[in-house]
Amino acid sequence: MDDFWAGVLWAVKIWLYLIVSLIMVPAMFGFSLGISETYMTILVKTLEWATLIQKANTDEETIKASPSNGLIQREDGSMEKELEELRRSRPKPPVGGDFTLSDCFYFTRRGIESIVDDEVTQRFSSEELVSWNLLTRTNNDFEYISLKLTLVYGLGIFVRYCILAPLRITLACIGLTWLVIGTSAVGLLPNWRIKSWLSEWVHVMCYRICARGLSATIRYHNRENKPKKGGICVANHTSPIDIVILCNDGCYAMVGQIHGGLMGIVQRAMVRSCPHVWFERAEMKDRHLVTKRLKDHVNDKTKLPILIFPEGTCINNTSVMMFKKGSFEIGSTIYPVAIKYDPKFGDAFWNSSKYSMVSYLLRMMTSWALVCNVWYLPAMHQKEEEDAVQFANRVKSAIARQGGLVDLQWDGGLKRAKVKETFKEQQQKKYSSMVVGDDSSNSD
Amino acid sequence: MGALQSSPGHPEYIDLSEKTGFSIEQIGVLHKRFKQLSHNEESLRREQFEEIPDLACNPIRAQIIEAFFDKRNYHQNGEGTVNEIGFEEFLVVMSHFRPPSLHITEEQLEKVRREKLRFLFNMHDTDNDGTITLEEYRHVVEELLSRSGALGKETAKSIADAAMLEVASISMGHMEPDEFYEGITFEHFLKLLDGFEIESKMSVRFLNMDTITLCK
Repeated sequence: MDDFWAGVLWAVKIWLYLIVSLIMVPAMFGFSLGISETYMTILVKTLEWATLIQKANTDEETIKASPSNGLIQREDGSMEKELEELRRSRPKPPVGGDFTLSDCFYFTRRGIESIVDDEVTQRFSSEELVSWNLLTRTNNDFEYISLKLTLVYGLGIFVRYCILAPLRITLACIGLTWLVIGTSAVGLLPNWRIKSWLSEWVHVMCYRICARGLSATIRYHNRENKPKKGGICVANHTSPIDIVILCNDGCYAMVGQIHGGLMGIVQRAMVRSCPHVWFERAEMKDRHLVTKRLKDHVNDKTKLPILIFPEGTCINNTSVMMFKKGSFEIGSTIYPVAIKYDPKFGDAFWNSSKYSMVSYLLRMMTSWALVCNVWYLPAMHQKEEEDAVQFANRVKSAIARQGGLVDLQWDGGLKRAKVKETFKEQQQKKYSSMVVGDDSSNSD
Repeated sequence: MGALQSSPGHPEYIDLSEKTGFSIEQIGVLHKRFKQLSHNEESLRREQFEEIPDLACNPIRAQIIEAFFDKRNYHQNGEGTVNEIGFEEFLVVMSHFRPPSLHITEEQLEKVRREKLRFLFNMHDTDNDGTITLEEYRHVVEELLSRSGALGKETAKSIADAAMLEVASISMGHMEPDEFYEGITFEHFLKLLDGFEIESKMSVRFLNMDTITLCK
């Protein structure tokens, strides 16, 4: 019995030594031993092979319509043009009030079109894949195809759950613990210049460990546009992991609400070594206070650039939704960043109504890997004639264009709330001005 | 091109395809949409329709949503409303908006037109008495026109009355001063909209599946 436990202890020690030497040390000093690269190459080859097998087994060219394209052919005409057409077949000119029952046909058809396909509802569920990537969770419509594929799928489950997942969980725990300890330690130092350098190093190191903990492969583009101190960095939001992705390449000041529990400990530790902007729950409601604190932070040129996600909620990485204007009213330089995940290797979208944070992280750790591209866009300033909303839209379009995402005007808050009545009234107003407008020109 | 997509897991689609006239592919697409709207449940309720933002902007969304739950539209000679619908009912109601196939006889085209117009008539005849009364007509006008702003309730009412008068004069010809026009019956409705190319105006066209390119 004792031998057994001694054996287990010995195995655990070897395991930890391996992790430290092969993964943590390279992460700390920023070089790579090539292990992850090899893993990724094998993975890519396997997935390509799986796609080929699936294609070979389907008899004809069954092209699946991707839901981000349109499903139905919509009339391009505006409300006025269509109603004109509808009315052309009227037997005689109207007497008073240009209204006829056929006008509602236009609205009925538009309504049915929205029911069949609308731009917004699909953004709050995970992106659909073109071909199966051998994960159970994406196996919606794909049926049994071949024995080889099933074997690889089974092997994949074993590898992911029994080998990769424990490894990743260990790494994540080590990373977080080290973050807390390291930042607290740095916080104890007096304010020498070396303090900020040390704090940056500790932060980046911990995020690198966390990134290894997710098998993340990140490609940064246009690094000459990286956000500088005194600016605000804005990015599209897909999941909490966005923070890890961005902080792997630089240090940012976070903005957010102070939580209790584990998150709170991490937050309090982080703020000891370099200034972040954490708010109490009550303070978040006071917009002026929030703006003032952000302004103060930005104006102090020694502080790190602030990282903000203006969408306010997680979207599924096929589109960019409305940016809230708050961060664009502060008046500092905006550094836009576009983040695009590759869904083949794992779905990064956090559907917060479906999964809690913990189950989401577990899902992340049992995916194949996390592959994403990060583009740094050139800095933008608010122009003279534009207000905060127009500026926000301009930045949003730039990010959408770079990342290959659809640029939508809708508010991400629609995930949980309903559309305001004012939108319906707008349509009503437009239609009534047509009816009454005609009336005044007809009556005499 | 007409090649049947091999979906071995959905034999019920063939049944539905015969019943509603949609192709297997289109049924697959609509089924996905149904699941998306119902959050993967078996049945849809009214609240889930109201979650669609595009639809929320539509002034007559209440009538459109109600049409899905109206038994008269299920081709089974039923009456009244239900509170939940399954995929089959969803598909049957949608089939009213299917564009007619190109090679059908004049008689069949007439039947299709009548069916679409019946659907629209049912949408407005909310108490199912066979006529669209002045009250129901007024209701439609109010929904479409703005309740706030320049157009007051009185204006909406007078517009509705004027339009109704016009309909009466078209359908009944000359009326005696004390004759009372009860409402638009289905026959009047058909007469009003005779010559109106409803089969093209009231159809939702699916994009040809073959020409959609894969994204990435």
